[in-house]
Amino acid sequence: MNARVGFSIEVAALVIAFFVLWFLPDVTGDYWLQLGFRICIYLTLAHGWNLMAGSAGLVSLGTSCFVGLGAYVAVESLNGFGLPLPLVLVLCGVAGGLLAVLVSPALFRLRGLYFTVGTLALSELLRLLMVNVSTFGGATGLFLQEDPPALPVLFRYALVVAVVASAAITLCARTRVSVIFRAVRDDEDAAAQMGVRPFRVKLGAFVLASALGAAAGGIQAVKLGAIEPYGMFGLQWAIDVLSMVIIGGVGLRLGPLIGALFVVILGELLADYPEAHIAAAGLILIVLIRFAPHGIVGFAAHWLSLKLLKSLKRVPA
Amino acid sequence: MPDIGIISSTIAAGVLLGGILGLTALGLSIVLGVMRLVNLAHGDFLVVGAYAGLFFLQFSGIDPVLGLPVVALLLGGLSIPLYRFLLAPLADRGAEAQMMTMFAVSIILENIFILVFSADTRSIARDYATYPLTLGPVTVPLIYLIGFAISVTVILVVHWLVSSTAFGRDLRASAADAQAAATLGVDVKRVQMLTFALGAACAGVGGTLIGAAFQFSPSSGGPYLLNSLAVVVLGGLGNVLGALVGGVVLGALQSVGGLTLGDGYRDVVGMALFLLVLAFRPEGFLAQGRT
Repeated sequence: MNARVGFSIEVAALVIAFFVLWFLPDVTGDYWLQLGFRICIYLTLAHGWNLMAGSAGLVSLGTSCFVGLGAYVAVESLNGFGLPLPLVLVLCGVAGGLLAVLVSPALFRLRGLYFTVGTLALSELLRLLMVNVSTFGGATGLFLQEDPPALPVLFRYALVVAVVASAAITLCARTRVSVIFRAVRDDEDAAAQMGVRPFRVKLGAFVLASALGAAAGGIQAVKLGAIEPYGMFGLQWAIDVLSMVIIGGVGLRLGPLIGALFVVILGELLADYPEAHIAAAGLILIVLIRFAPHGIVGFAAHWLSLKLLKSLKRVPA
Repeated sequence: MPDIGIISSTIAAGVLLGGILGLTALGLSIVLGVMRLVNLAHGDFLVVGAYAGLFFLQFSGIDPVLGLPVVALLLGGLSIPLYRFLLAPLADRGAEAQMMTMFAVSIILENIFILVFSADTRSIARDYATYPLTLGPVTVPLIYLIGFAISVTVILVVHWLVSSTAFGRDLRASAADAQAAATLGVDVKRVQMLTFALGAACAGVGGTLIGAAFQFSPSSGGPYLLNSLAVVVLGGLGNVLGALVGGVVLGALQSVGGLTLGDGYRDVVGMALFLLVLAFRPEGFLAQGRT
């Protein structure tokens, strides 16, 4: 398929999805809006994670660093300065990007596995700091002074964040940038020989993912109305997002969407058994890593193309 | 300003505790050295060790310190199928697949602990554990000294195993260059399996000791893992004696940090140190560490 046609199709699909979902609050009840809100948040985070892991080879366990940072920035700036919500979310994104720039010299010295371990330690460090520093409410956390907006409004904010994330990923994937990303992921040294600057490329992916994650954390905090360090900086964020992308398919465009839908629906089905839900996600992870390294999307694509090939062969020449 | 007794006792306790930290990190370190695998379930192995020690005491009535060999055998035995069925099939798929698999094992274990043992905080209670041991101005709980002695013994035994036996020779060869070792007739898969089991056995012993010195809960695995990682980068990857040194350094610094900044900052010190070492000296303070 022509690259430009593919790009247009993707943009069209995104625009249509946006307009259809924008009117979701007019036709459904709170349950579906809650679910939709959660999927939008997770889709944003999963897109960022997928960009880092699938395109730049950065496997992160530090999702909560940026979710938590966004949450605290959002509550502090709403309480302290009464800024309008859209501006607050932009501010969250900027803060997330800045934190990523700030920690990147340390984290990027660590190739491969050590990057993963470094992000894990960073999220733990931030959580411990938040627990201990009383300026940010300590272990009890912070409360939003105003009432949070109604659910339909929140859903539309989350939808905008998710669509912005999807659009950014589309731009990355459909332009020259994607080739550069892949070169760095597959062989950093060879890419450097060819004139690509791996540090900048990785930093770009990290900053974009972090900014998106912080914005998602901001809107999540506004919805909760009260935040505390154990939840907002908890490892659970990383577990959820990583499971989604691996289950959906790492490095594949539809991976985050399918994975987010799958994990959220699995969570709904096992809502009464939270421990069983997480353990089940772990089991699914093990099975998929072993037998379907490209997740559900990769498996489906493989199976479909096999069927297609077979049906083609059956046609008499 | 606290008096000299408190300061010296705190530092002594930190150093002794650091010995135990060294043992808890040892398994992570040798598995990393030989298999190039960051075992993200290592903290949960330690928690398994703590529960094993607790239940061994409850059911047999035998002191968990005497039951340590049983716990070690149990953990080592349980880890072999884990290696055989989960890790070995992924051997040629790069380090990430194995690490993610162990991450999944970690979240499964943690949630099984919650389901089976409830989320309660527990401890392996022994009368002598809190018995104060006084030497001049220094006072430390007896369990710290017992734990330190056992940890140092186990670490020295592992060091002897790695540096002076045929298995150790194969292990060092596999760590240095697995492909070359395989060409020279070393059964690398078997070495990796035994290393993984040895690491788990050490985690069992270390977990019981940590469970006897402190409280633990199903979600202790995460903090344990991070502390162990800090010890490993301080002491050097795959360096057996380095784990002991790294543990003692971390234990002492954590105690000093807790004393000067407040108890909540103990772990902050560990994490900050860990990130700083990673950023400035990723090969560890004891560079050129050999397994």
